[in-house]
Amino acid sequence: MRLSEERGAVGGFEVLPFGFLVFVAGTLLLTNAWAVVDGKVAVTAAAREAARAYVESPGPAGTALEQATVAARGAIQGHGRDPARMRLAPVGPLAFRRCARVTFEVTYEVATINVPWLGSLGGGVVGTSARHSEVVDPYRSDVPLGWDGGVRCDA
Amino acid sequence: MLMPAAVLVFIVLGAIAVDFAVAFLGEREVSNAAAAAANDAAGAALDQTRFYADGALRLDPVRAASVGRSSVRAAGLDHLGDVDVRVAVDRDAPVVTVTVSARVGYVFAKALPGGPDGVTVEASATATAEEQD
Repeated sequence: MRLSEERGAVGGFEVLPFGFLVFVAGTLLLTNAWAVVDGKVAVTAAAREAARAYVESPGPAGTALEQATVAARGAIQGHGRDPARMRLAPVGPLAFRRCARVTFEVTYEVATINVPWLGSLGGGVVGTSARHSEVVDPYRSDVPLGWDGGVRCDA
Repeated sequence: MLMPAAVLVFIVLGAIAVDFAVAFLGEREVSNAAAAAANDAAGAALDQTRFYADGALRLDPVRAASVGRSSVRAAGLDHLGDVDVRVAVDRDAPVVTVTVSARVGYVFAKALPGGPDGVTVEASATATAEEQD
């Protein structure tokens, strides 16, 4: 065997570091995408729990909102996220009366990793949000009626 | 050539995993919206005329459809495409079924030649109005 025939044995070696870099960048991109998806799952659950807790609360309105906040924080925590980075806000009027439509929006800021060549997505933080809406049961006991004394659903 | 090919395969597989997770998330969202809409309709669409006439618990189909659509509209599914809501009320029982379908867009698959740009997801929820003592 001649030495000259072995020259090709290491041919293409220089592409390996480049391939490795592409691998790292691709993995980081996927990790970022997954983090956002996971954050979205968490806020979806938190919004649902908040709305459920509010409409199922025995009241009054202040307690219902407090229970909604606790439920949302618990859902975020249950998904392994930091509740301090969560923001819970009602969408539209928030009334604790029969048939009132209650909508909560939960926003969570997901930190992203800096990806080589692409930079950081959304400046290092991507906001995810989700909404959930429910109606307070029109025929529940011990829940106030509407302002006119009747049960009128906000359809 | 094997290394770049392997890297590419790995990244494409990861992209597929993320896209499937996005589709699953979209399905969860329409499922939540359908459940909330069915729950709302079962409570708010009670046919009061019929109830006061013969004591039977029945749902008003028109009212149920209105409440169901309103509930899904408020659920914030604006980021999904082609959101469709179907509300079916049982004639002989106070049962309402809400079916929500929507188009979920993929993140990575559309970057691949011939890859799909999204998938249609659908979820149904049924709720029954019950009288409690």
